Amino acid sequence: MTRIRTSLVRLAVVATALAGQAGTALAQSCAMCSSSFGQNDPVQRAFSWSILFLMAAPYTIVGVVGGYLFYTYRRGPRRDRASIIDLAGRARRLRRFVRARPTEGDIA
Amino acid sequence: MADAGALAVPRPAVSEPAPAVSNTRLAMIIVIAAESMLFAGLIGTYLVFRLAAHDWPPPDQPRLPLAMTAVNTLVLLGSTLSMTRALRAVRRGDRVTLVRAATLTTILGVLFLVVQGTEWVRLVQHGLTLGSSMYGANFYVLIGCHGAHVLIAVTWLAITTALARRGAFRATRHAALEMCALYWYFVCGLWLVLFPLVYLY
Repeated sequence: MTRIRTSLVRLAVVATALAGQAGTALAQSCAMCSSSFGQNDPVQRAFSWSILFLMAAPYTIVGVVGGYLFYTYRRGPRRDRASIIDLAGRARRLRRFVRARPTEGDIA
Repeated sequence: MADAGALAVPRPAVSEPAPAVSNTRLAMIIVIAAESMLFAGLIGTYLVFRLAAHDWPPPDQPRLPLAMTAVNTLVLLGSTLSMTRALRAVRRGDRVTLVRAATLTTILGVLFLVVQGTEWVRLVQHGLTLGSSMYGANFYVLIGCHGAHVLIAVTWLAITTALARRGAFRATRHAALEMCALYWYFVCGLWLVLFPLVYLY
């Protein structure tokens, strides 16, 4: 148990050190931009914003389409509302199913 | 020779309910998503040149006609209202209103294109061309790409309107009109992004 705890502490120290390094790296944009342009060059800023925009675009599009499909299917036929986890409805349907199912004794 | 009846796949006794999103609509959504990525790339390019420039537009280049384009934007927005009216009409089986609203949408779309074309001619006469500067190149590529999409949408609308005149759509069967409307909404929504970005920012 002590070994596991020691390993976990070591892992946490290494992870913190790595995260600290990543924090320094986040201050730059991509490697090409930071080496090609000066610190406060507007071109670097322009590239950074453009990269951010282009990075966000596919996630936004896929998110919107996925969300639309998800909610449309939830609201599809035989569904009353777009609840994500309809526990009460599922319990109701399960009870109905158990009541309607014949028992083993009935078959004989 | 094998019996054809024995090889036939038996049909299910109970017909399955229609999917919540039809295959046609799903295909249209995929097309629109792909088109959105195309425009995202073009907007990304525009952002690079716009944010990197000290003077935008460059001092020796003409300014874009803001007032006329704002009116043109209202024309495009008006066309979405008439398109919605056409969709509602076909859903309740009102053919007369459908044809009127679809025709009005087509006319408004053509009007948008004519005004855009007139503006472009004036801009070229004032010296803003594709090769005059990065400003001109970005403007014509971005707005031109949208204009090409509006042209495709207007052509599609004209065909759909002609079909509506012939009575091709019913309250229960009008997928072609729905898809055309979806594409038209996309084209109009895209303009609501491009207009502030290119003309106002």
